[in-house]
Amino acid sequence: MSAYNRGTELDLSWISKIQVNHPAVLRRAEQIQARRTVKKEWQAAWLLKAVTFIDLTTLSGDDTSSNIQRLCYKAKYPIREDLLKALNMHDKGITTAAVCVYPARVCDAVKALKAAGCNIPVASVATGFPAGQTHLKTRLEEIRLAVEDGATEIDVVINRSLVLTGQWEGSDFIKTSTGKETVNATFPVAIVMLRAIRDFFWKTGNKIGFKPAGGIRSAKDSLAWLSLVKEELGDEWLKPELFRIGASTLLSDIERQIYHHVTGRYAAYHDLPMS
Amino acid sequence: MAATRAGPRAREIFTSLEYGPVPESHACALAWLDTQDRCLGHYVNGKWLKPEHRNSVPCQDPITGENLASCLQAQAEDVAAAVEAARMAFKSWSAHPGVVRAQHLTRLAKVIQKHQRLLWTLESLVTGRAVREVRDGDVQLAQQLLHYHAIQASTQEEALAGWEPMGVIGLILPPTFSFLEMMWRICPALAVGCTVVALVPPASPTPLLLAQLSGELGPFPGVLNVISGPASLVPILASQPGIQKVAFCGALEEGRALRRSLAGECAELGLALGTESLLLLTDTADIDSAVEGVVDAAWSDRGPGGLRLLIQESVWDEAMRRLQERMGRLRSGRGLDGAVDMGARGAAACDLVQRFVCEAQSQGAQVFQAGDVPSERPFCPPTLVSNLPPASPCAQVEVPWPVVVASPFRTAKEALLVANGTPRGGSASVWSERLGQALELGYGLQVGTVWINAHGLRDPSVPTGGCKESGCSWHGGPDGLYEYLRPSGTPAQLSCLSKNLNYDTFGLAVPSTLPAGPEIGPSPAPPYGLFVGGRFQAPGARSSRPIRDSSGNLHGYVAEGGAKDIRGAVEAAHQAFPGWAGQSPGARAALLWALAAALERRKSTLASRLERQGAELKAAEAEVELSARRLRAWGARVQAQGHTLQVAGLRGPVLRLREPLGVLAVVCPDEWPLLAFVSLLAPALAYGNTVVMVPSAACPLLALEVCQDMATVFPAGLANVVTGDRDHLTRCLALHQDIQAMWYFGSAQGSQFVEWASAGNLKPVWASRGCPRAWDQEAEGAGPELGLRAARTKALWLPMGD
Repeated sequence: MSAYNRGTELDLSWISKIQVNHPAVLRRAEQIQARRTVKKEWQAAWLLKAVTFIDLTTLSGDDTSSNIQRLCYKAKYPIREDLLKALNMHDKGITTAAVCVYPARVCDAVKALKAAGCNIPVASVATGFPAGQTHLKTRLEEIRLAVEDGATEIDVVINRSLVLTGQWEGSDFIKTSTGKETVNATFPVAIVMLRAIRDFFWKTGNKIGFKPAGGIRSAKDSLAWLSLVKEELGDEWLKPELFRIGASTLLSDIERQIYHHVTGRYAAYHDLPMS
Repeated sequence: MAATRAGPRAREIFTSLEYGPVPESHACALAWLDTQDRCLGHYVNGKWLKPEHRNSVPCQDPITGENLASCLQAQAEDVAAAVEAARMAFKSWSAHPGVVRAQHLTRLAKVIQKHQRLLWTLESLVTGRAVREVRDGDVQLAQQLLHYHAIQASTQEEALAGWEPMGVIGLILPPTFSFLEMMWRICPALAVGCTVVALVPPASPTPLLLAQLSGELGPFPGVLNVISGPASLVPILASQPGIQKVAFCGALEEGRALRRSLAGECAELGLALGTESLLLLTDTADIDSAVEGVVDAAWSDRGPGGLRLLIQESVWDEAMRRLQERMGRLRSGRGLDGAVDMGARGAAACDLVQRFVCEAQSQGAQVFQAGDVPSERPFCPPTLVSNLPPASPCAQVEVPWPVVVASPFRTAKEALLVANGTPRGGSASVWSERLGQALELGYGLQVGTVWINAHGLRDPSVPTGGCKESGCSWHGGPDGLYEYLRPSGTPAQLSCLSKNLNYDTFGLAVPSTLPAGPEIGPSPAPPYGLFVGGRFQAPGARSSRPIRDSSGNLHGYVAEGGAKDIRGAVEAAHQAFPGWAGQSPGARAALLWALAAALERRKSTLASRLERQGAELKAAEAEVELSARRLRAWGARVQAQGHTLQVAGLRGPVLRLREPLGVLAVVCPDEWPLLAFVSLLAPALAYGNTVVMVPSAACPLLALEVCQDMATVFPAGLANVVTGDRDHLTRCLALHQDIQAMWYFGSAQGSQFVEWASAGNLKPVWASRGCPRAWDQEAEGAGPELGLRAARTKALWLPMGD
């Protein structure tokens, strides 16, 4: 990632001054989905763009090197080659933004990506994911080990007990949730976070990235997230350095939509390779 | 094949990530126009009416200018035919039980649901408004309106007992309007049993389609008739015999002119004028959300007009930066595009904006325009005007769509002064996260609707209307129903028009009165003077008029009040108003009860004065007793005013407040010199108004007796009583711009004058038109009608959330 948060003096008055009107934000969240849609080639192009924002993720207790390998291959070839050709997009080098795995699987992912001959970054969740309730010492050690294994991005679960008592931490990226909660990435929450990112940028000139994760499964959802970021932050945030979508099944739905756009037919499950 | 179609563009879009067109097919709208051979007439009595030899006006796509259809323009005889059809339909429609009407409305809602695509594409095509707003907003709300009013109709016999439908309603709609404006008004009218003739501007097919959908439902073809024609037909429709009420919605000056021309005519007039809205942004607000509120109000094709934006000085820079940033992301384009925020509303709207902007600039304002807007006509970019000097002419006129005029304020108190400092009183929103401040502003704003931390929410069960020059007619909720009802047994309104009434000279001069000899009769001598500001004062003219008793003998002298005395009385009433309006209903009731007790103590004097006016002793005593009862009854009744509404889709309540009107002028009838005076005084005061009253001209002495008690019981200025020449005082009151409402019980000519003169500040008037009233009867002397007229409604939306 190119952009880093250079940090700033902690000024808690920024936080205490923030006003969020819940019902108004809920209304905005409803509107944004209804007011912006894209169709036809716009939709296809936007969906391909969405692919480049995906942190292709597997965070299962039963992950092994074989399914990690499959995931990495899918990350390199997210959309069937012939479909990309039909759209004249085959030479754009479209891959997902990263693959995202547990720390213990970083090694497998790095190996698999190297074998596939690409430099897609490996992101690792770390620091006692998903609860974050472990000692600082083991948290730091976990990060060190993941980096040692070749992870270049770390999704840190902040210690929420500190947040709830007003002791804040800084970051380069903020993520809606771990994706393991009962409620994950929702529009109202995202709107509040995006506005905070914009305010921070206006105040300090630092651009913080944004990653919604969990529950984003359909191509239509991903389009709504893109337009949300475009509307609230602008086009400058629509690049993998500043925007990621954490998802596992989203990619296959996007591929199905692209298939439909190109061929005019709805794909059967076996028409598209699994990840 | 699909691939070649997509080929080259996708690469560019992939890089630019721009939005593309999302066209909504309007094939079905065109197909419907084809069923009429692209020639639209009028829809009357369940049939299309396409008379020959009529002018026609093209209905054009406001963006491409393409001719969609030609629309026949009605002439006077077509209007007459429509009114006749509505009159015939009224007989059976109003005679049916409410459940039958409810069924009809429900069926219409279902038909709309089934054909909604036709409705929204046609509406968006011809008005140019964003299809998303029509589809997701208007069409859904239209169905909710029908369902809500179906329920009201089905419970009408119990819930609205004592009221009956007025008759045929003439509905007049402005050139720039959504079909929803029609739905808001026809739903309550039809629900309570009225029938409607709607005069729509040339080239508005959607109301015609609605009329067709309603007419094809069968048994009641004539309940909704739609004719299209030029504005010159408005007075013709309004003066058709049989039209009992004209509901006008449109521009301020047209409404004013109509008010003048309808004075004395048969039809009652309800006005809903202007489109401007107001947004108050305080320094504790969620500014980003407030900015979305501005978008909702002015730049999303939801509201019809422009917006006056008041921003607290301490957050001015921050709010303006966010606003401008947000404006840059707005998209305008063809209304039938599913991804635009704003459509276009034709060349006339565009010209209006340009004129306004040029003028504002020439007066020193800064103008900011932004957004993804096609550069060609008739598209208007979202426009933000700031630094407009408050005294410049531009700051006084109504802000047109899609302009927002922003100005700063320092404190909440100042915000109220600025916000209330316009003659308009439509709707406003308050953005503040401090509950106390938000409520203070919400209660203090002189408008019909206030949203707290939201803007432009609507619901069929919430009354929507205005005050001041925005007109005082209401739609939605209970208030919307009363617009089309009158107390049962009231005779149909008749024209009291006197063509040779000269407005310039009516009541201008006071006939001079000479001494008629010494007062004779029992002591004590009647009180003398004008009761203004809590005490008896000598009249400015320093002359008096004799009052005679029933046998022609001199009963006493009363002061001859004039224009200056009226001015003084209105000033005194205004001074007393804030204190009195701020009292709790309980405290007000306590004072009314105290006055009642005082009247009872004075019973023998009052009865003997009534006796001298020809009443029998028993009847006179009964009148005094009934007067005291009226005071007590109104005091008790106001305790239970206003209520809370629950709205679908909104967490939190909507409060329906009943607020005092302000200073109320009351000209009392000649008959029942005590009872009528008290019956009018009691509700007016109970609802928190202060009053200037002209007592019975035949015997003002009884009112003056009451004044003696008011002097000791009431704070100064609450009730002011001016005696003198009735027509002259009426003239002074009716032409006074700072009187908020007027009740007139007197001659037909006086009524006509009052109606004509009220056009000045568009104060609501209630004129008897020379019809006597049975003041001793409960329904006419103390019925709910008085309560309705003595206060105005305000809807206060309070969405909640953590």
